[in-house]
Amino acid sequence: MTDVKDASSPEIQRDFDIHSPDDVEGVYDTYAAMRSGCPVAHSPRYGGHFVATRYDDIHDVLRNPGTYSSRTINVPDSIGQDGEMIPIQIDPPDHSTYRGIINPLFSPKRMRELEPQIRAIATELLDTMLAEKKVDFVDAFAREFPSQVFLALMGWDLSDAPRLNEWTDTMVLGKPGASEEENEAVREQAGMEVYAYFAQMIDDRMENGGDAEDITQILINSTFEGRELTQFEILNILLLFMIGGLHTVQGQLAHTVIYMAEHPEVRRQLVGDLDLVPTAVEEMLRYESAVCPAREVTEDTVLNGVQLRSGDKILIPFAAANRDPEKFEDPDVVDLTREPNPHLAFGAGNHRCVGSHLARLELRVAFEEIHKRMPDYRLDPADPPVRHLSQVKGVVSLPLIIGESL
Amino acid sequence: MTQALNASVDLAVCKGHGRCYMTAPEIFDCDDAGFPLVIGTATTEQQISDLQRAVNNCPEQAVSVSPAG
Repeated sequence: MTDVKDASSPEIQRDFDIHSPDDVEGVYDTYAAMRSGCPVAHSPRYGGHFVATRYDDIHDVLRNPGTYSSRTINVPDSIGQDGEMIPIQIDPPDHSTYRGIINPLFSPKRMRELEPQIRAIATELLDTMLAEKKVDFVDAFAREFPSQVFLALMGWDLSDAPRLNEWTDTMVLGKPGASEEENEAVREQAGMEVYAYFAQMIDDRMENGGDAEDITQILINSTFEGRELTQFEILNILLLFMIGGLHTVQGQLAHTVIYMAEHPEVRRQLVGDLDLVPTAVEEMLRYESAVCPAREVTEDTVLNGVQLRSGDKILIPFAAANRDPEKFEDPDVVDLTREPNPHLAFGAGNHRCVGSHLARLELRVAFEEIHKRMPDYRLDPADPPVRHLSQVKGVVSLPLIIGESL
Repeated sequence: MTQALNASVDLAVCKGHGRCYMTAPEIFDCDDAGFPLVIGTATTEQQISDLQRAVNNCPEQAVSVSPAG
């Protein structure tokens, strides 16, 4: 083929920066422009990487881990971790062994048993929040809720939530606007602190023994092909749970509340029929997909007419896949009853988000409790929400006026 | 009379998203690791419609149907 493009082809160059603080509001337009102009684009940022924006291409990448390895999932390639996060940065066959240990921890059945506990956390946060008329929804609910659920699942002290949140923020966001070197330094520092904290939690449990059935204990008791997991492995599993479980749900909740505040007719539809919550959760996952992982190409291959070479990095923003008009009718419109909705908010293929069943439960409980108890809310015109990009898109602050509506 | 449908899941392709047993709980259940089990045939209109939705919502395209009987 003569028309195969490659990393040096001028027509596929786009100056796309996934960490840019300036591009967050227009990112869906950016994805749309790339999708229609060059669906596999090349950006010079972070040493150069590709960006795919069509659903079918992203789907292909996700489902071919042999060609697209997740040993690199970040651009730049470290968020401060020491070694690989397990199991997301592990390729087959070890990946399957780890997933065999971890899948049951987050199985739908186990999650269902946790629902009362998760609902109690949501209820308590809302009790406090609803005593105010004006709140920051991120501080009052979106950040605390998944962190407290995470700590409860681990069997750790719920009051550690603020520390976990700070470490997660730093590792996910770095220091926006700072140099790459400075970013690397603050992330490494946060990484060291979080490993030390996890190690302390594991040591405490080892010393005091335990018949608890929480995740800490299950991991300590787990075996990998007959041997116990090493502390290093447990640390890198816990790190993934923290990075994957906190910021993502926080962002999803906050993006949803922003949308519902701005679209009272959609919010009233939900408030009026809470049976819509399950499909509403799926639709908001599609509409605001937080995660934009990378993959590392392991062998020369052609993706949608673009030559990729072994060692190349490619970003696969799930948000771009989930707004692809070839796959979803009116993709920029929220339809709480959208059908079908095979979105990729949790990815696909071997590395399908291991926490997806927990995330769905958290989102369902939160959507229900929020809209049962807080039918009306609006943004503060004097103090608009602040969103951020990065590989986990999110919301920094969300001032909300409760009891009023647009 | 609508044609009854059997469901099947290609477990080599399925990654345990769980959309099928959420969408069509009378046709699919899940095992302890979150993978689906086919537990019934779709015979009522509601079950058939739920099963079609399960096929269309699977992000892995792992669910298929065939005429029952």
